[in-house]
Amino acid sequence: MKATIVFAFFLFIAASGICFTGKQGKKLPKRQLQLIFTHMIGKEHLVLGNTFTNIFGENIIVQKFKYYISNFSVTDNTGKITRLPPKYFLVDETDSLSKIISLVVPDIAISKISFLLGVDSIRNVSGIQTGALDPLKGMFWTWNSGYIMAKLEGSSTSSTIAGHYFAYHIGGFKHPMNTVRIIDLDVSQNNRCIEMNISADINQWFKSKSVCKISETPVCHSPGALAMKIADNYSTMFSVNSVH
Amino acid sequence: MKFPGTILTTCCIIIIGTGWITIDNRYFRPTPVKFTVPKGWPKPVYDFSKNSLTAEGIALGRKLFYDGRLSRDGNFSCGSCHQQFGAFNTYDHNLSHGFNNSLTNRNAPGLFNLAWQREFMWDGGINHLDLQPMAPITAENEMAETIDNVISKLRTDAVYSKMFKAAFGDETINYMRMGKAMSQFLLQLVSSNSKYDKVMRGEATFILPEQLGYEIFQKKCAACHAEPFFTDFSYRNTGMTADPIGNDIGRMKITGNRNDSLKFRVPSLRNVAITFPYGHDGRFFSLSNVFEHYRKNMVADANTDSLVRKKLVLSNYEIGQLTAFLYALTDSAFLKDARFAAPGYDNKGKPPSDIHQ
Repeated sequence: MKATIVFAFFLFIAASGICFTGKQGKKLPKRQLQLIFTHMIGKEHLVLGNTFTNIFGENIIVQKFKYYISNFSVTDNTGKITRLPPKYFLVDETDSLSKIISLVVPDIAISKISFLLGVDSIRNVSGIQTGALDPLKGMFWTWNSGYIMAKLEGSSTSSTIAGHYFAYHIGGFKHPMNTVRIIDLDVSQNNRCIEMNISADINQWFKSKSVCKISETPVCHSPGALAMKIADNYSTMFSVNSVH
Repeated sequence: MKFPGTILTTCCIIIIGTGWITIDNRYFRPTPVKFTVPKGWPKPVYDFSKNSLTAEGIALGRKLFYDGRLSRDGNFSCGSCHQQFGAFNTYDHNLSHGFNNSLTNRNAPGLFNLAWQREFMWDGGINHLDLQPMAPITAENEMAETIDNVISKLRTDAVYSKMFKAAFGDETINYMRMGKAMSQFLLQLVSSNSKYDKVMRGEATFILPEQLGYEIFQKKCAACHAEPFFTDFSYRNTGMTADPIGNDIGRMKITGNRNDSLKFRVPSLRNVAITFPYGHDGRFFSLSNVFEHYRKNMVADANTDSLVRKKLVLSNYEIGQLTAFLYALTDSAFLKDARFAAPGYDNKGKPPSDIHQ
């Protein structure tokens, strides 16, 4: 009889344990934060297929402009960094919705928001992915496994190759040719913000840390020194327009 | 006397609760398949925890491997260039035939023991087995198709809907599932039953030329063609000059490093007797061509591997013994294993029926 009482007691403990799991841990308050990306060439808004002039006066018609952003984190006023759950986004000029990214962040005063421009090395070596990272998105190299972090394609009379095309497929995740760049955006002007307007300036691809003219290098589609140079350049393309 | 009642009630609640939790999975019970590592071999490098082997997954992978719809014109399945009777190489072809009378750039290697291989292709450009099929499917001079098109073709076939459901729980057809199913089939291709393997397991003994060849092999070849895979999976420059038209720089294409110029993966020598022609571009039509290369014809450059830079000293006698040993690496059971044949050609383990009766 005693044994059955003990047995019943343990069953009760086990059952109540099951009931209470999942209720452990306090949930910190959170808020939505929307990032709205606008694509620019200098002072003008990018329109695919239209002719623009880049920083060197080279005329350019952009046909494709897309890039991965991932691994968001926020820094509070004391400098404490909170990583957000890992998520991957493909921002694509041909998909307006992809230019609005909703994040759930801790409901605290934020001084800085950071993310990776590109796809971290782990996802580059983990086989086939789905969602934004699906190889079918046209941002994956089949012959040299790995993601294209950012892509800018179009034509320019300055290009010396057939069809006057230019094509920048920037990728490579292995040291020392890792093209992933960390982007930090300052939001201290309104650290309780729920909306950020961010512009990405294509001019920075051509001239920022170094010079990269379409007339000199119209094509980049493998990991290497040129890809690193362009990645360094475009790592400066983002700026915060307004924070609400 | 209240307690037995309490216990009974508690038990009932637990049983019902467990039933409730498992009810969702009641209709999806694929048959698990165990991956057997041959005795004495190291642990596979493929991560099976991300892609559990099931009979249904393997069957789907096998159907995909032999389906011509993976190519643009329907003519080229994976199996058309990876033929079982050639240990899944393109038998007796230096290069393979692709879409619209094209030729591949490199020799199709045999496919076996892929669970132990980290990187694929002669230059190691592909870092995961699941990703490998995408390269030949999309290459213009191979299957010349887009993955999008392949998936839409598969979606129109009710048999595939059924097979994807059986393997993955619902009828969704996507590239991740395709890749995983194909890997499940490819991982089955374990070749470990050559005479060499039987000797190592103590089930057979070498005849004298094989034994002498084995000893020469261990001295002069095994540094790169390491047992039990007969490759160390490294990339080496063995003094093969680049063809001026193809100008294939090998591993350097992937790493961008000049020191990797003309480096290619050390190929496995398992089943070597039937995987001729040899070399990354199939330039050696016979084993004797290969031996002549190493002892006479090679052109060393700054990147040529130090182990062969000064050429190999090989006498005609040694070549004879080595050949005898290399013939003992043929796994004839693997070449005829009905599990790996095109679906419908396996006769369910029975010998083929005599059509003349």
